[in-house]
Amino acid sequence: MTANTLRRRLAASTALLALSAGSAFAEVELDFWDQVWGGPEYIATAGALVEAFNAAHPDIHVTYRSVPWASWYETYVTAIASGSAPDISTGAGFQAVQFYDFGEILPVGDVASAIGAETFAAGTLEAVTYDEQIVALPWTLDTRAIFYRTDLLEAAGITPPTTWEEFRAATKALTGNGVYGLVSSGDTTGSHWVSSITINNGGGLFDAERKAALASDASTEALHFLADLVADGSVNPASAGYSNDDAIGSFVRGEAAFILNSPNLADLAGEAGPNIAVLPPLTSPHGTKGTVYWVNNIMVYRQTEHPEETMTFLKWWSDNQLPLWTEGNGAGLPARMAYQQDAYFTEREQVSDVIAEYLPVAKPMSAVAGGTFPAMNVVDGDGFLRTLIQTIWQGGDVDAAIADAQAHLEDVLAD
Amino acid sequence: MWMRRLPMHRPILKTCWQTDLPMAATPLSTSAWRTRARQLLSPDFVTPAVMLIPSLALICLVIAFPVAKGLWFSLTDGSLLRPGHFVGLENYIDLLGDKSFWNAVRFSTIFAICNIIGCYGLGLGLALLMQQDIPCRGLFRVLLLMPWIVPSLVAIVSWRWMVADEKALFNQIIALFGGSPVYFLSDSTWAVVVVIAIKIWRSFPFMMLSLLAALQTIDRSLYEAAEIDGATPWQAFCHVTMPAIRNISIVLCLLMTIWTVNDFDTPWLLAQGGPAGATENLVVLAYRETFARNDLGMGAAVSFVTLLVLMALFTFVLRLQKED
Repeated sequence: MTANTLRRRLAASTALLALSAGSAFAEVELDFWDQVWGGPEYIATAGALVEAFNAAHPDIHVTYRSVPWASWYETYVTAIASGSAPDISTGAGFQAVQFYDFGEILPVGDVASAIGAETFAAGTLEAVTYDEQIVALPWTLDTRAIFYRTDLLEAAGITPPTTWEEFRAATKALTGNGVYGLVSSGDTTGSHWVSSITINNGGGLFDAERKAALASDASTEALHFLADLVADGSVNPASAGYSNDDAIGSFVRGEAAFILNSPNLADLAGEAGPNIAVLPPLTSPHGTKGTVYWVNNIMVYRQTEHPEETMTFLKWWSDNQLPLWTEGNGAGLPARMAYQQDAYFTEREQVSDVIAEYLPVAKPMSAVAGGTFPAMNVVDGDGFLRTLIQTIWQGGDVDAAIADAQAHLEDVLAD
Repeated sequence: MWMRRLPMHRPILKTCWQTDLPMAATPLSTSAWRTRARQLLSPDFVTPAVMLIPSLALICLVIAFPVAKGLWFSLTDGSLLRPGHFVGLENYIDLLGDKSFWNAVRFSTIFAICNIIGCYGLGLGLALLMQQDIPCRGLFRVLLLMPWIVPSLVAIVSWRWMVADEKALFNQIIALFGGSPVYFLSDSTWAVVVVIAIKIWRSFPFMMLSLLAALQTIDRSLYEAAEIDGATPWQAFCHVTMPAIRNISIVLCLLMTIWTVNDFDTPWLLAQGGPAGATENLVVLAYRETFARNDLGMGAAVSFVTLLVLMALFTFVLRLQKED
């Protein structure tokens, strides 16, 4: 090799290094772990947004990592326990408060104040407040709404039900010829029926003192209502063993008239989308309405070596995240009120109906108590609510299942 | 060069504890102690002992340390993020009063027994068949190994689609015969049956392959002698085949017990332990306790109880085998 060749190769290597390691010139390196909140386009959009931040902040370099939902809890817990937590991450509804309780999360009240509390949807900041500290910044709202097949109801000459009684009659009337009135699942999404219907009836998992209240009159009555639908034969008998994807598939194929699901269900329905509409929240026998919602959030980890820069990124991310929906088709509804007014949401009938009709009556999973507390993460992920709903969908002994679930909830809260 | 000095014709580790005299029963004289000490310091002992150190250290690192750590966790009340306090046997006591634990024990036992009977019976039957001179034997052997080769995720998810609801393949077949649909994954009893059936389907190729290898080592002259003595094929099977494959069968059943009790994939991927906990085995319960309920102590206690039960079973079977 001649001296010239050597010099050329060295120069080329240096240029390559400089190009590929542009981040090396940034003073501060931050790791941002983002859950998968949508399809491939969401990940691409989020990655591009991070690059836009990097371009606007030459002294900070953020590395984007998409974290799948499978085993998400293990991923974060292991990372924290091994001292390799990210600087900042998005996460499930109660992740921040539990990690905060472990001393692993930094409060973000200053960022929330800088953005302005009034810019967030009502109740969302309260849902991430624990020990008088805002432990994370709200970013999406997930709620459960009842959807129905307009084609099936029209064919049967049934008007959309508005009360429990009408709903029961409609599901029964629509059942037959391979079609069921209602389809659900035995997984976590199926278990959301428990929170949704108990809240709808003015009850919930907890009472006002944060004590277990699954066995309260309101909650028991609501769960018996579901059992009545099963007894009528109106619920697809495969529901207890279905995953949410199975249940959506059945609904989209027109094999069920009603389903409880997330706001963007119609987006997943393909050609069946136009045949899907949002049923306004049912009125319970006591005249109450409601459903459950969760505030997914962004949190900053105490292990970060650059809290100030991380807060800078957090605020920038919250201020500039609209493309995550408009271009990335992200799941959930924005926690920032202004984003909810964007044409992307207002021009889609089903989503705008959920925003208009369900969000105003939605309550957190912690209802009746409200707010958030560390045990909520265990309650959300524990699986006892799945066991309860599976027993109901199986047509099992509801009272025994409620008693078991109540006892388990009491144990969780006692811990 | 030092290795050449080793007397390779005798057992390297034949040292003091392997002498013919019972050590505890015979008080050692001073000279005997000196002899023992000399033996311990001799190259015959020191050299192999030194050579074993790296392996022993590795075993301690990958087995003893995690087991000890797991035992410690089972005696604490912590979570993965918060170090717990020592609570003694509290987790074990709580476990004994926990309905879900006994439910998991019950399912684990049914799961293991049914799978062993099923996959051993099927494996042995097919091994006997594969030993015969049948057309396309090689092709059948390859095809029968497929359930073992296919990744568990692919296999179980495919099975799930075949049994999920009334439109699934199995219910289409049932409908062809005029039967009513069976909701395999929504009914607690059927879910248990399906989980066991799929486990048998995934396990029998290993049994078949191992038993086929064992069958091929049986001296054919034994069958000829049995035939001359007027033995029927069934008698030859009972008195020639079975005794010859008895030991390998015990080992295979033992291994299958361990693998079945420790199986996470089948009950989890098929039904996530449901419906209503019907297919929740001890491993799934340990996972739930640790990661879903955030109770590391209980999760470790479940794992430790599983380990102890398996070790007791292992010791019992080996002792039985030794006595015979």
